Amino acid sequence: MSLTLCSPTLCLYFSLSLGLSLWAVAVLLVALLCLDPHSRVSSAPICTHGPSGCHVPSLADLFDRVIQHSARMHSLSNDLHSEFEQYFLPSKNSIGKIYRKCHTSSILTPNGKENAQKLAREELTEVILKLLMAWRDPLFQLHQSMAHQQDFNSFSSNKALEMGDMTHELRKGVEKVAEKMRVLGMLGNSVTGLSPAETMLPISDSGEAMSNYELLYCFRRDSNKVQNYLKILKCRIIPEHDC
Amino acid sequence: SFYRPHFTGCRSREQETFRCWWSAGIFQNLTEPGALRVFYQTKNFLSEWQECPDYTRTVKNECYFNKTFTQIWTSYCIQLRSVRENITYDEACFTVENIVHPDPPIGLNWTLLNVSRSGLHFDVLVRWAPPPSADVQMGWMSLVYQVQYRVRNNSHWEMLDLESGTQQSIYGLHTDKEYEVRVRCKMSAFDNFGEFSDSIIVHVAQIPSKESTFPTTLVLIFGVIGVVILLVLLIFSQQQRLMVIFLPPIPAPKIKGIDPELLKNGKLDQLNSLLSSQDMYKPDFYHEDPWVEFIQLDLDDPAEKNESSDTQHLLGVSRSGSSHVLNFKSDDDSGRASCYDPEIPNPEDLASLLPGHSGRGDNHPLVSRSSSSIPDLGVQQTSEVEETPIQTQPAVPSWVNMDFYAQVSDFTPAGGVVLSPGQLNSCPEKKKEEENEKKIQFQLVSDGAYTSENTARQLSASVPPSPGPEQGYQTFPTQAVEGNLWNGEYLVSTSDSQTPYLLPEAPPAPILPPVSDYTVVQEVDAQHSLLLNPPSSQPAICPHSPNKHLPAMPTMPMGYLTPDLLGNLTP
Repeated sequence: MSLTLCSPTLCLYFSLSLGLSLWAVAVLLVALLCLDPHSRVSSAPICTHGPSGCHVPSLADLFDRVIQHSARMHSLSNDLHSEFEQYFLPSKNSIGKIYRKCHTSSILTPNGKENAQKLAREELTEVILKLLMAWRDPLFQLHQSMAHQQDFNSFSSNKALEMGDMTHELRKGVEKVAEKMRVLGMLGNSVTGLSPAETMLPISDSGEAMSNYELLYCFRRDSNKVQNYLKILKCRIIPEHDC
Repeated sequence: SFYRPHFTGCRSREQETFRCWWSAGIFQNLTEPGALRVFYQTKNFLSEWQECPDYTRTVKNECYFNKTFTQIWTSYCIQLRSVRENITYDEACFTVENIVHPDPPIGLNWTLLNVSRSGLHFDVLVRWAPPPSADVQMGWMSLVYQVQYRVRNNSHWEMLDLESGTQQSIYGLHTDKEYEVRVRCKMSAFDNFGEFSDSIIVHVAQIPSKESTFPTTLVLIFGVIGVVILLVLLIFSQQQRLMVIFLPPIPAPKIKGIDPELLKNGKLDQLNSLLSSQDMYKPDFYHEDPWVEFIQLDLDDPAEKNESSDTQHLLGVSRSGSSHVLNFKSDDDSGRASCYDPEIPNPEDLASLLPGHSGRGDNHPLVSRSSSSIPDLGVQQTSEVEETPIQTQPAVPSWVNMDFYAQVSDFTPAGGVVLSPGQLNSCPEKKKEEENEKKIQFQLVSDGAYTSENTARQLSASVPPSPGPEQGYQTFPTQAVEGNLWNGEYLVSTSDSQTPYLLPEAPPAPILPPVSDYTVVQEVDAQHSLLLNPPSSQPAICPHSPNKHLPAMPTMPMGYLTPDLLGNLTP
């Protein structure tokens, strides 16, 4: 003998009316979306008609994107390196780090702001590309070794994977920037293409493969180089105030 | 090892130059300038140690590396040597970008964003400029800032999140309080904060708000009261419906086939028939409790359940002029086996004729039935018992009107029955023990026909006075005993010795105790009048017979006549 709030017929009416109203609202929404051309979400066509059709990113925009990308990459490398130091090397020098030889040490890189500013654009661009290229395989190896070891949680190995992907993307981006610069005539033709033979394997002094910590240390340094070089390059390519 | 000469730190302000400091420790002989020298080595491609390029003149124990000697992303190792002793006291290695501590931001100022309506809180926007030494335009150093503030002279600084821009909003400050605000910065993706900037004071005087807060509070209060009143009205007006909704009525129990009205009216016979038809109670019910089925529950007239109900009832019955003296009440007993001769009055019907004891209450000579050992009602068992005046009462629940049994003291010529109260008080039995409701008890009857075991013990030496004229039994002018009309009145119990009924010490004379609440109907003569046993002329009213059980009773029943003894009677 339970008390129902509505009789069966009444409940049926309620449900029917509710369903009808919902359906009407759905129909209205669909109509609005479909009939209103402006609210339609669709993909823009490829810019084939020049600046009138769509927005072509300028070189400055491209540089900004690339610089943001490199900043994120460097931050990732710093996080991973700090994790490594925290868990695997509790004792560290109070002032700085111990010298380690990286596999990219053979690449001649300007070691200061003025040196980098004095360097030619093409060379600077080339250095950036060389660095990024040199880290393609070692980062992949780093991710592999981190994923296999149980010492790292999945978060760290995911960071390593993301770092590798970012490096790859950044290299592609810098290549595009260089291409654009070449098109715009800012770069001479002295930019030599990167020879695939220049892939260097990370080998430490003793000849063995570098450890994960050494790799991270080196990559942290190199990503900072790339970030700063890009900034210097942008400042030189695109004239801005106080640059 | 701070007693030895050691490096106290190296710092770079703008990632283009850096400085290193050292301390001579407690070695006094090394404090003079030149005693300790710094050598450095860059681990690029040069392996030779070079001396510090510039010992700062103005600052003691400082080595300054200018732009020429500063290489970023290059490992440096520095050594603190005492050339005279050719001892290296300290060594440190680092890279320059890891020792960068930016200068503090400059130009810290604040602007008022807004003040709250109550005038108690305000928000400010704090602005600053990056340190001039840092080249942020080109992006050589990408800085992030951290703003801290506190109430003046407080010890705890509130820290806000890192900000990459050069401004920050601070919300929720209190007016009339002075705040200190400061800011510092560090390179993003590095860990070394620079020094704090100078603190600025933020203070906003409290403006007495023009609009008072009274109306708001009043409106709120009135609104709440109105809503409450509405709710109460709603509840009271829709009380019934709400009650039904929130507290649905519990359905009444329903047993299929049984009308609850039957139960209320107490028509047990119908219930019994129903139950027996459902085959629920029958086996146990009738096995354990053969008496129960014969209990007549008269629940129809609760008003008459008083002390004198039976008396009046009987009197009324007698007045009604029924030909049957014994007006068997409600003889529609269900299921009763026809064990009895229909003419023979049923023991309990007999019992119902006995006068009630007005004012006795529980002191009725009622015998509650025993729990398990119920004497078998039956004429069949007569032979099993010795001729002992043992009579067990039919089991009656104690809650039944205690006036169930009354002693018939006299018969009117018209055929009515005169009842008399019992003589229970004559025997100083202890009532208390008898009043355990659940126990089997046989109330002591003064006639000794029914005696409880406990009480009988206590009556060992008591000689209660004889009530004399109250004769439980009235001698009738004995009439011809008709044949086998002798009722098997004395109910024989075949139960074990637990049944605490006692047989009073039976004198050989077949006389009953003088006062008897219960009497035995000898016979019913042709005129439908009761022939009762002759009164007993026993001296002892309260028999103090020892604890004798059934088998040990004298052979001569007290006041009970067996059929074979009938012949001995002289009419």
